[in-house]
Amino acid sequence: MEMIFYKKEDMQNGIKRILFIVTLFLLSAQVFGHGDLTKRINEKTKEISKSPNDFRLYYERGLLYQQHIEYTKAHKDYLKSRSLGNTDKALKYRIAEVNYLAEDYNAALKSITSYLEADGSSDVKAKKLEAQILFELRDFKKSLNAYRYVINNMKDLRPEDILEYCDIILAENDENHEVALEAIEAGLKLLGPNTLSLQLRKLDYLKNSGQIEKALEQYNYFILEYDRREFWYYKKAMYQAEMNRPKEAIISLKLATGTIDRLDMKFKNMNAILKLKEQIKNLEAQLK
Amino acid sequence: MIKKITLILIMLFTVNSFSQTATADTAMVTSVKDSPSVVVERGPYLQTGTPTSVIVKWRTDTATESVVNYGRVLGSLTKNETSKALTTEHEVTLSGLTPNTKYYFNIGNLKEVLSESVSGDMYVITAPTAGTDQFVRAWIIGDPGTANAFQRQVRDAYYNYVDTTATNTGKTDMMLFLGDNAYSTGTDEEYQSAFFDIYYEMFKKSVAWSCLGNHDAYSADSATQSGPYYDIFTFPKEAEAGGTPSGTEAYFSFDYANIHIISLDSHHTSRAIGDPMYNWALSDIQNTKQDWIVVLFHHPAYSKGSHDSDTEDRLIEMRENFMPMLEANGVDLVLNGHSHSYERSYFINGHHGLANTFSLEEITKGGNTVGANGKGDGKEDGDGAYQKESTEPEGAVYITTGSAGHVSGGELNHQAMYISLNKLGSCVMEIEDDGKGGQNMVIKFIRETGEIDDYFTIHKTGVTSITDITEPEVENGRVLYVAGSDLLTIKMDRNERLKKVKIYNNIGELVKKSRKKTINIGKLPKGMYAIEITTKNETYIESVTIE
Repeated sequence: MEMIFYKKEDMQNGIKRILFIVTLFLLSAQVFGHGDLTKRINEKTKEISKSPNDFRLYYERGLLYQQHIEYTKAHKDYLKSRSLGNTDKALKYRIAEVNYLAEDYNAALKSITSYLEADGSSDVKAKKLEAQILFELRDFKKSLNAYRYVINNMKDLRPEDILEYCDIILAENDENHEVALEAIEAGLKLLGPNTLSLQLRKLDYLKNSGQIEKALEQYNYFILEYDRREFWYYKKAMYQAEMNRPKEAIISLKLATGTIDRLDMKFKNMNAILKLKEQIKNLEAQLK
Repeated sequence: MIKKITLILIMLFTVNSFSQTATADTAMVTSVKDSPSVVVERGPYLQTGTPTSVIVKWRTDTATESVVNYGRVLGSLTKNETSKALTTEHEVTLSGLTPNTKYYFNIGNLKEVLSESVSGDMYVITAPTAGTDQFVRAWIIGDPGTANAFQRQVRDAYYNYVDTTATNTGKTDMMLFLGDNAYSTGTDEEYQSAFFDIYYEMFKKSVAWSCLGNHDAYSADSATQSGPYYDIFTFPKEAEAGGTPSGTEAYFSFDYANIHIISLDSHHTSRAIGDPMYNWALSDIQNTKQDWIVVLFHHPAYSKGSHDSDTEDRLIEMRENFMPMLEANGVDLVLNGHSHSYERSYFINGHHGLANTFSLEEITKGGNTVGANGKGDGKEDGDGAYQKESTEPEGAVYITTGSAGHVSGGELNHQAMYISLNKLGSCVMEIEDDGKGGQNMVIKFIRETGEIDDYFTIHKTGVTSITDITEPEVENGRVLYVAGSDLLTIKMDRNERLKKVKIYNNIGELVKKSRKKTINIGKLPKGMYAIEITTKNETYIESVTIE
């Protein structure tokens, strides 16, 4: 059996290398180990046990609990942070937010109102949360007012904001499609005339409000705007069939089939196209 | 000696953010003329590259005008784009450029050039026109933002690769960041040390794209499109670089050569079917005619690394909601980060369940792997490249590559993965012709040591045939039309009598009526038409494309 002897210097170098690797590993784990929220919560708990009166630590653990979808614990930590003297307005917002997430809308409203009063009602994000809370409390008029503020003051609107605003408009009055459509048009001006989710919602509203010709024009918008039209032809045909316009539906289906025929082979064989061909066939059979 | 090391170790533990600050590179200004009074603190870096435009961004220490001088010849930058508004955050769009063309540039203000490269290392190569079939190289960087030595080692390994590779040496067409670009919270300061100070050399000659990571999201707010992530990046909201307008920088798409790239927000934005991001992605992918489809988002659909795709909601939702739709529409490659390791799948399709339900023995059409080589290593010199025939467009490879700054281990035993490595590294994607009308997409995982620990190829046939060569069959053969002709002929049986013909355009509007069998269509615009033929006995509708 061969014996291996190490020099003292080699051993020290080896230990040095191991310690260096361990150090980097632990540092990485500490700073970047977000993968395990539980671990981070435990670390924060240890910090709290060392400094039990530090309101910052409770606030930070509350945020971690909130991310971990443990709203009760998050709420408890936020309240503890407040009781220890945390007067930061961010805490008030978080309390409102966690109440909203936990579906305690009355408490959420109380918190966000307090936050907005302190803030002079100028925080767009908080106004949005207020509108969302009011929506859940079915106070649609107030919710609409709050969201209108968001729409008018938010620096970079998203399509989702416009759509949420429209939801509130229709929740307040489910026949108010014209106002919702105006909001969509305003959104298209702000975000770009071809913003897909807004154009899709416009189509929905036109259909839901019985504006058949305009809805068909909207389908035509998609047909003309898009490079690949087969799906839009089929959707238009479905609507035409639903509106009892079988001949028009068949024309749309023929155009859909013609468009598919012109596709490159690799698209023709995609599952989505194979399924579409089947749907076209079925609808044609129904219309005959 | 050991005591000393232990002391250092303890000191290191007390400095929480040591690894993000202590080893950061110093920002470099390539060349500065006569010590300008204004200092460039960040950039220049390139955004939203299209065939005819690019956005150049940089930051200065004091507010000044924005000037980009540019031209095709180094030392003769005869064109310029100027904004007289005083700002520290400069954003200049160069437009009217020629596709696939190299433009050198420098940046400055009305008085002087503030940053330039005398050696020609500050340039933009405009994107090729969509659909162009040519060599493309993308550098894929996941979860890099540690600002530590690991991140720089990974970076340097790629730089060395691209500077010494035999094909298209030095060429990086784009950088694809998979999120978590700056730890721990994606602040502007962290972006400076972990992003700009690290990749400045590449930023001034390659367009950077990204998707939002959870750590970026600590400071960025997708709901208000605000925060460092959204301030730093300028992504196309109105399909400026191809694709479908999303109206938001949180999710978008773009074309580069014959590749369609979709970037999704798996963190802040709703991942539900029928919600705006899903609807947009569906319309976008169903509207592309590009040969390759690459999708990137932060939270991996398949991972058993430092994150578990069996148990974490965002990961599950992306897999269950988005994967079926993306796969049905021909996705080729899915790139994710989040788990700090390298996990690369077989050539798979239709696996949307838990890791332990994946089976190599099941093949396509409801199975898990695709084609004869789907359950192999994908290596041309091994089990063979993954094959994607034009007649069988299924199959994709999923890569979780989130180790460009650190590794975090995990079980690393997802059954859909051909290989799982707890190693530092980044990926390179190279698309090249096969010489037979097809293309190869080659992906390599480049370790921080420079070793290539994994590689594979997806081979796709029929790339160069843009459209089906065979003319579409006319149903029933009643409409006879020869491309380029002004005449359209209705074929009738002897015992049939034509009553009328109606021609509808591509949106179903009636544009012509006739009672003749031969109809002059010379004045009709090119496009698809539906022809309604009414005979004594019945009515037929057929489609025809007038060319």
